[in-house]
Amino acid sequence: MILNGVEIRDSFAEAFPMVGTRLIITADTPRWAMTAAKTMTGFATSVIGCGCEAGVERVVPAEETPDGRPGVAVLIFAMDIKGLKAVVPLRIGQCVLTSPTSACFAGMTGGDTVSIGKALRYFGDGWQIAKNVDGRRIWRIPVMEGEFVCDHESGTVSGVGGGNILILATSRGEALAAAEAAVDAMEKVEGCILPFPGGVVRSGSKVGSKYKGMFASTNNFYCPTLRAQTPTQLPPEVASVMEIVIDGVSPEAVSACTRAGIEAVVALGRAKGVVAIDAGNYGGNLGPFHFKLREIMA
Amino acid sequence: MTGVILTARGDFEARVDLTGVLPGADGGLAKRAIPYGGRVVELGELFDVSGSGAERLTIEGGDARLDGVGAGLSEGEIVVRGDVGARLGHKMSGGMISVKGSAGAYAASEMSGGKIAIGGDAGERLGAAADGSRRGMSGGVVILGGSAGARSAERLRGGVVVIEGDAGEGAASDLIAGTVAVGGRLAGGAGRGMKRGTLFLRSPEGLSGGFRDAGEHDLVLLRVLVRRSAELAAFLGPDITRAHRFAGDLYAGGKGEALVVAPSGRM
Repeated sequence: MILNGVEIRDSFAEAFPMVGTRLIITADTPRWAMTAAKTMTGFATSVIGCGCEAGVERVVPAEETPDGRPGVAVLIFAMDIKGLKAVVPLRIGQCVLTSPTSACFAGMTGGDTVSIGKALRYFGDGWQIAKNVDGRRIWRIPVMEGEFVCDHESGTVSGVGGGNILILATSRGEALAAAEAAVDAMEKVEGCILPFPGGVVRSGSKVGSKYKGMFASTNNFYCPTLRAQTPTQLPPEVASVMEIVIDGVSPEAVSACTRAGIEAVVALGRAKGVVAIDAGNYGGNLGPFHFKLREIMA
Repeated sequence: MTGVILTARGDFEARVDLTGVLPGADGGLAKRAIPYGGRVVELGELFDVSGSGAERLTIEGGDARLDGVGAGLSEGEIVVRGDVGARLGHKMSGGMISVKGSAGAYAASEMSGGKIAIGGDAGERLGAAADGSRRGMSGGVVILGGSAGARSAERLRGGVVVIEGDAGEGAASDLIAGTVAVGGRLAGGAGRGMKRGTLFLRSPEGLSGGFRDAGEHDLVLLRVLVRRSAELAAFLGPDITRAHRFAGDLYAGGKGEALVVAPSGRM
């Protein structure tokens, strides 16, 4: 499949089940809502090294937030509910509770639950106050700045982690420009996050390593400087590859996000140095979700 | 669907206990035995029973001697076009009761869910614990258009009580948790023994001596409450952000609070 001179390879992204939750973080100003959101989703690029994958889903207008202040929706995913239950209160406690003027609310219902105020209330040292309204419990935790308000807990969803596309381009600059265009489009798809820095991974990995104890190592098949030394997936004109990893609340969301990204890259086309779109997988035997690029773009 | 309609056949000579006369009762409602003064009579002797349907029960032309209206209600709607007596919605767990007139003592006592709207006044111990009980209302919403008698929301455990008029002596005394809003004046001794929970007031006058001024604050809580509770939004105003906080009753642990807000919701 060739679209605007860009080859859509007959490949697929192999993704895995994850458990996720959505939180709505608010603050007095958009700046501080985003600060809290970015902080609490920091160091959450890969579940292997960070314990979770997290990112900003979208900016939430004040009219839509539980307290009428500017908000940001974040998604956090872990490999299982136990892992999610561990990381969510920790991240809220260290990154949102501490952030000036912030409040934190459940962004979804249903499924198993993860603690927000249920765990953080103890910071109040006995001065915390619970309030039940409309069948929901909220907590007020006195802090030096005033009060930290949060929901008791949030629901969870069975999501998908590890959707991805690889952008093969003729130079590093062109690969980055294409990746940025893709990220801009993909960030508009609700229900998804791109957990890596700025949404982009420049160091895609393969499973395993020659070194004992390393779970993952550089994906030499896509490293342009290694094409003379290892088998390669890169045609001669490709000098740089960028990857975009997608986690979503459903396969449909990941699929829509994948398509949005590919469309944005294809719009740049071969004229802007994009040679091909590929995807990372493990042969199809590890992950139950297969996002076939050509089917998505059909 | 109009539901079942009860219309009094004449004036009552004694108190009538309508406990258990609820929406969804079978077609034999007219034959249902109810206490009437010192004896037991069939409902049909006192009321003309008309209409059908399980969703709603309407009592046309209420009376202050109609006790136990909606007591134990768990679903459906009761509409009273007049007054009711004692124990309106006692131990109610769901559904809706609307009283156009006034209610007697112990309305919403030990209620755990649903909603009661009373257009007029209420007698003593609105939403409170019944005699011999340790805990009052634990959930649901009560809206009182008029004034409440003494010891409204006494030992309240949860839920929301909005009193648009005045509250009698000892409102919210021994309150355990929950939210009470009083739009009018407090008669005195309000919040005495209050352990936790929130009182929304227009003025601190009438609070018991165990409350201390904690200053005026911008509280995010207020913004959340008015977005999750239509009743509190109506009382506080949709744009409220600030309240003057009084902590108390400090003689009973002091984890409760009275939040004084201006009528417009702005201070």
